[in-house]
Amino acid sequence: MDVSQYLDIFIDETSEHIQALSDNIMILENEPENKDTINEIFRAAHSLKGMAGTMGFKRMQHLTHDMENVFSEVRNDNIKVNSEMIDLLFNCLDAIEAYLDNVKSTSDEGTEDNEVLIKKLNAYLDGSAGDGGSDDSGDSAEAAPEETAEEAVEESTDSEDPNGKDHYKALKLDENDISKIREAAESGLNIYGLTIHVQKECLLKAARAFLVFKALEDFGEILHYDPSSSDIEDEKFDLAFSCIISSDSTDIEAMKSAVGAVSEIESVDIGKVTAEMYEKPVEEVPKEEAKTEAPAPAPAAEKPAAKASQKSSAPAKKAANKPVTARTVRVDIEKLDALMNQVSELIIAKNSIVSISSMDTSGAEYDSQSLHEQIEYLERITTNLHESVMKVRMVPIESTVNKFPRMIRDLSRKLNKPMELVMTGEETELDRTVVDQIGDPLQHLLRNSADHGIESPEVRKAAGKPEEGSIFLNAFQEGNNVIIQVGDDGGGIDTEKVLNKAIERGLVSEEEAENLSQKEIIDFLFMPSFSMAKQITDISGRGVGLDVVKSNIEALGGDVEVKSTLGQGSTFTVRLPLTLAIIQALMVEIRDEKYAIALGSIMNIEDISINDIKYVEAKEVIHLRGLVIPIIRLDQLLDCEPREEEPENLTVVVVKKGDSYAGLVVDNLMGQQEIVIKSLGKVIENNKLISGATILGDGEVALIIDVNTLI
Amino acid sequence: MANELDMTEEEKVQYIVVKIGSEQYGINISLVDNIVRMQKITRVPKAPAYYPGIINLRGEIVPVMSARNKMGLGEDVITNQSRIIILKLEVQGLVGILVDEVKEVISLGESEIDRSAQNSKRQGNTYINGIGKSGDELISIFEINSIVDEVAVS
Repeated sequence: MDVSQYLDIFIDETSEHIQALSDNIMILENEPENKDTINEIFRAAHSLKGMAGTMGFKRMQHLTHDMENVFSEVRNDNIKVNSEMIDLLFNCLDAIEAYLDNVKSTSDEGTEDNEVLIKKLNAYLDGSAGDGGSDDSGDSAEAAPEETAEEAVEESTDSEDPNGKDHYKALKLDENDISKIREAAESGLNIYGLTIHVQKECLLKAARAFLVFKALEDFGEILHYDPSSSDIEDEKFDLAFSCIISSDSTDIEAMKSAVGAVSEIESVDIGKVTAEMYEKPVEEVPKEEAKTEAPAPAPAAEKPAAKASQKSSAPAKKAANKPVTARTVRVDIEKLDALMNQVSELIIAKNSIVSISSMDTSGAEYDSQSLHEQIEYLERITTNLHESVMKVRMVPIESTVNKFPRMIRDLSRKLNKPMELVMTGEETELDRTVVDQIGDPLQHLLRNSADHGIESPEVRKAAGKPEEGSIFLNAFQEGNNVIIQVGDDGGGIDTEKVLNKAIERGLVSEEEAENLSQKEIIDFLFMPSFSMAKQITDISGRGVGLDVVKSNIEALGGDVEVKSTLGQGSTFTVRLPLTLAIIQALMVEIRDEKYAIALGSIMNIEDISINDIKYVEAKEVIHLRGLVIPIIRLDQLLDCEPREEEPENLTVVVVKKGDSYAGLVVDNLMGQQEIVIKSLGKVIENNKLISGATILGDGEVALIIDVNTLI
Repeated sequence: MANELDMTEEEKVQYIVVKIGSEQYGINISLVDNIVRMQKITRVPKAPAYYPGIINLRGEIVPVMSARNKMGLGEDVITNQSRIIILKLEVQGLVGILVDEVKEVISLGESEIDRSAQNSKRQGNTYINGIGKSGDELISIFEINSIVDEVAVS
């Protein structure tokens, strides 16, 4: 039996439960008496425990079990919620997340027992009324003496019954197995026999056996199964099964408790065994063999063979442990239905075209007209289809941002600054890949706000602000972009200080510095290794910061802007493209080359007489409805051949990024088209002006101009 | 492994022999994805001069470079014989190389390649890592990694 097929679901659901726990514990901290929340927490913890148990992640199960006990005490009003306990619970959540990360990367939970946490949890339980609290600690303690007592009795009983105690001592092994045992013993390993009894009411015996063997494999190699491993898998055993294991560990109790931790296991018999115990009936034969020198190579030959099989199984196991990254998207059934509908429409459209093509060629004119209609129809469907597929790829940013309140809470305690995070627009949807990658930059911005932005309570009081700092994260859609604003009501960016630092670091001379605008000064913050923190904390100040944020966001096709008012706070605005792969674009011609400009960034298109061009600081600008817009001559920028004579009128495509505009001069407009963005290939990808290429209907290649780098 | 199987016959590597200018060059066949006829190359502004542009290879965008330009042998002359060799490289992905003519495929053993000849000649940039001898012909073996740029991190 293999549980790996459930691993994806396990990972998904576990992260959901962890998130639910985290959210609810946050609520609990503020409203310790909220019964609904406690029940919610209890349920989540319980499911978590159940899932971990099913998947055989014992350590995770153990931890969640103890957490569940604490919750149950809270629910029964035996323990009062206090912030220390909340801290502890959050630490536990972190530990569970660490298990989950391990599972994700190796399909295994790892070896961290988190005993400290478990002890602390139990301390809470012991501190409580004691009735239900002892439940857990008693569990293992009670079980242990019982088993040891059994063991003592077991010594004498040695029966042939496979369900009997210590059946492992009476196993019938063949020559091969015995020699394996002998080899293992010779190489210094300890050999143990185990007989595992499952409970009578156990339904999934094979599954339990699988989990037992999985647990045992942590200790060493299983040399022999009784009944055979395939029989065990097919549940062809009654209530007990045995095995022999070679291990370099001498800790029988650890092994016993590991096996005992699998649910529905009645008891475990374990003891040291030797090869001699099994080879009595054939004693004579090996002795003879030992006498004559010739057959000696035979076992020797067997040895490498056994080793080889051992070796071959080891890498196989490793391969199975390859990272499991969740590449799944949960899709709203409605979105899928819409997709389904559009596909059926697509089929209808295809059929119409087929019927037109097979029609008599009598009315050629009529044909071309109806064909044209069908093509328009087809176009509409493909556009809708594209939209639907994009929607399927879209997920709310909630999954990424909902870990932030917890983070701010921790920071608040760590920095001794009361602060609160207010989030809006968590439901804003973005492409899955973007959502996955936007977490780190946002986290960084929030940490920045918490560490540098929000002042200490005393300073805030003096400035007439409420003691509790407020940090906000707003997300919303704007045209083809999603905007995420992260900011605070803290001290704002001291441009004076930034400038001094920039001069100190030689990024700018003092003369140049005088002419810099506020915006240009703030842009220094995005330079690599430019840290304003006076001291390095583990929260920020190492100088790997905003530049990484910027490059991460740019890698996603977005950009980041800062607005800051000294004394009132600062706001970082992150702008991200809604979709990545397909965009609507305006196709333009410059000389004989074709370029695409994303429609989302185009504001309008103007026909401008050459006389309307004015000059500001020796740069060409146009004055358009109250806006002064700089002119960018794309032909010069893109190194096209110069024109022989300048035309009277220029076609200008006005593009916009945030609050800035630019007018791009093109030769010709070709029209709007839906284009698929393709990479330029790695060797020339580092081209800033061109964000990609697309293939036109006639197979020609057109380049996509990256408007963001122009402005 | 080959040594055990057959000690007398050394392992041979197949090379595609192409002509650039008056010289012949060999490209290890294992790196070649396919060979296409000349087609319209779309210029990419601001790209290095030895990248004339990109082409559409059955729906994929493939950058094309001019080996002649890279080696400082002047501008490409496009004729009816011109071909684009599409290389499939591990790091760089698909890259096309413009050549004047594709001649043949030959097999060369290590003993037929002179590895020392090019060392002293040009200082600095060497784009070949050996000279193969096939009959009377001399074939320079391309060192693909120095022809095709490392993926630049900007």
